Amino acid sequence: MADFQTSTHRTKWIFTPQELVEKYKAANQRAIQALEKYGATLMEVDIDGSLSYPEPQTNAKDTADKHSRPKPLNIEEEQYMRVFYENKLQEVCNNFHFPHKIQATALIYFKRFYLQWSIMEHHPKNIMLTCIYGACKIEENHVSAEELGKGISQDHQLILNNEMIVYQSLEFDLIVYAPYRSIDGFVNDIEEFCQTKDDQLHMLKALHETARMEVDKIMLTDAPLLFPPGQLALASLRSSNEVHGVLDFERYLRSILSRQSSAHTISELIESLSAIDSWVRRYKFPSEKDLKHINRKLRSCWGLGSHDESKKREKKSKHKSKKSSNETQNMQS
Amino acid sequence: MLRSQPISWDSKMGDGNSGSNRTLSGNNNNSSNKPEWLQQYDLIGKIGEGTYGLVFLARIKSPTTNRGKSIAIKKFKQSKDGDGVSPTAIREIMLLREISHENVVKLVNVHINHADMSLYLAFDYAEHDLYEIIRHHRDKVNHSISQYTVKSLLWQLLNGLNYLHSNWIIHRDLKPSNILVMGEGEEQGVVKIADFGLARIYQAPLKPLSDNGVVVTIWYRAPELLLGAKHYTSAVDMWAVGCIFAELLTLKPLFQGAEVKAPPNPFQLDQLDKIFKVLGHPTPEKWPTLPNLPHWQQDLQHIQGHKYDNTGLNSVVHLSTKSPPYDLLSKMLEYDPRKRITAQQALEHEYFRIEPLPGRNALVGPSVEKVVNYPTRPVDTTTDFEGTTSLQPSQPVSSGNAVSGSMPGTHGGTMRSVPRQMAVGGMQRMQPQGMPAYNLTSQAGMGVGMNPSGIPMQRGVSAQTHQQQQQQLRRKDPAMGMAGYPPQQKSRRM
Repeated sequence: MADFQTSTHRTKWIFTPQELVEKYKAANQRAIQALEKYGATLMEVDIDGSLSYPEPQTNAKDTADKHSRPKPLNIEEEQYMRVFYENKLQEVCNNFHFPHKIQATALIYFKRFYLQWSIMEHHPKNIMLTCIYGACKIEENHVSAEELGKGISQDHQLILNNEMIVYQSLEFDLIVYAPYRSIDGFVNDIEEFCQTKDDQLHMLKALHETARMEVDKIMLTDAPLLFPPGQLALASLRSSNEVHGVLDFERYLRSILSRQSSAHTISELIESLSAIDSWVRRYKFPSEKDLKHINRKLRSCWGLGSHDESKKREKKSKHKSKKSSNETQNMQS
Repeated sequence: MLRSQPISWDSKMGDGNSGSNRTLSGNNNNSSNKPEWLQQYDLIGKIGEGTYGLVFLARIKSPTTNRGKSIAIKKFKQSKDGDGVSPTAIREIMLLREISHENVVKLVNVHINHADMSLYLAFDYAEHDLYEIIRHHRDKVNHSISQYTVKSLLWQLLNGLNYLHSNWIIHRDLKPSNILVMGEGEEQGVVKIADFGLARIYQAPLKPLSDNGVVVTIWYRAPELLLGAKHYTSAVDMWAVGCIFAELLTLKPLFQGAEVKAPPNPFQLDQLDKIFKVLGHPTPEKWPTLPNLPHWQQDLQHIQGHKYDNTGLNSVVHLSTKSPPYDLLSKMLEYDPRKRITAQQALEHEYFRIEPLPGRNALVGPSVEKVVNYPTRPVDTTTDFEGTTSLQPSQPVSSGNAVSGSMPGTHGGTMRSVPRQMAVGGMQRMQPQGMPAYNLTSQAGMGVGMNPSGIPMQRGVSAQTHQQQQQQLRRKDPAMGMAGYPPQQKSRRM
């Protein structure tokens, strides 16, 4: 593992909450503008690699009345969609029994991707699969796109079509740091710190396991874009320790800071950990009803909304490549 | 698979829609039919070839601050199985994005050819490499490389390697052709470790590292790899450095084994034999984990039974066993990877504390009596960026006027007869052309390996350079004008 201190992860991909809000807002705004201009928001990748919005619906001007025009997703709805597909991502990775590291890498790719783009511009299902595919490639657990596609009954072509766009959007910063290794390290350290005796090892094991589950939850929030992996790990260990009561956690935090002669104060560190906890508490999974509503909106943003339009679209897609027709099918699924 | 379905892409292109799409950024539809990013370069020609793809020499047309600066552009082939973007390319980019060191090549830009999903990596150009330097001394000037130069090259190589190893990166493919040396300019004589296509981050790999296929050109391959070790370490790089050190001293590869080509991952008996002959037979006493290594254990070809006299290393390299360089070399060529000297320890070795002291410009120093004029890299000006040649590649690079076929507007071969600027390292910023997603989504522009501070370039080129080029044009190059990439490399790399 290259050094985190000098890594692109630390220097480029840890943001302030305000920066995150602005990025989400900017992507959302851009998609809304595209919707107003072209009547649809889904980006198409052309053969020359340029990205474009689709043709404006020829009747866009005729039917300019407010009811038929597709309504864009708002920022909260975009957030819901990300949450939904991040859960899907974990599900897929679990089905394939991929190591935690791959799941975490794919999740971070997915989060970073949608800092650059609106959900309305790139289909989150396809991007999610491409993120998993890319994470496998980077983490040396190569799985062919075909294999991956087959395992979840998806057209693997969609995975490959988006691969370059994903790497580009990640600015080729593909080495990411997941908190799982940090947890392992801290648990080893705690073992020494507490001078754990053999008969107490089961308690450490329990602490470790719960922390891993806690950090799984943290990984689904925006916290990985806001805090370094070490702090995510400590937050999960602190929560876990509240369940198991293995050690005086504040004393342990103090000992880390003093050993590392860190510039951070204990109160800063505790504040960060509490902020991470609050991201987990505020985490909201969309209801069925929300999802239905958002999906309907999304489909209309992608030009698939009303019956008329979707028929038109289907006709058009017949002339198009296999690839785009598959895309259409999958979008509707 | 994109590649296997060109028709579907064509039909998409033929669709009336896409033609009038509102393209958000650079496109390829300009008159010369050349991608926009490519137009910022003048292509000079091909300088290298490997299993990964091709390397081109190009010069920057703009911006004016870096105008004329030489750039090496590495084009990766698409992965053969049609499984997306080349993993080798991705790995090299992602590693180079995280590292920055004076003795490691600098990635200055990444370009994407969306049409075939291939990647082009742009590096600061280095005029020389150890393969060419050694060959020049062996075949042309008939005298050994000066002590100062050997020591400076070795020190810088170790310095770069120490940086990589402390960042948990194993190079895995060190060999003379991958150790570049900067030509005339501000960074003259500075060593740059290149070619990270096989490099790995080695902390907690998800799979044994050997699953990626055997790596390292066999002449520089460590004995534990030859004996089938599954989990190897940064010590494999140090073995290669030892082999390179000996080669710098003697101008001959130290262990020149004949490679067994098949089956995949074959047992390289001859290579081991060559090593044993020089270093003596390894024993479990000296190397406790030796009996656990698969090929030693299985002993299908009875290597255990061979007995060789004790080490003759000192006579091969013509060094006294008591001399500091011999001491360092023998510590690099230690059988047991756990006892082998590390890059960090090697940098502290006595050899580097005695005269002549190593310097930053390895080619020119206070104690170099006779500065050697190394030839410039041969350039095959008949090859364009697509890798298609318009002439037989076996023809020597000779013409000063061969303009590459599909590159209108480049100065082509004429460049070589005009004094040209030597490679200069340092950082530069390029226009993020041809990378739509970046322009659209990121303030960071290209974001790839850039530093906004441009280092001023030396513009003067001496008459000497001109002379070198004349010399270079005359010489017949068995490697077909692909400096540093000997033909056997293809087969030695798995």
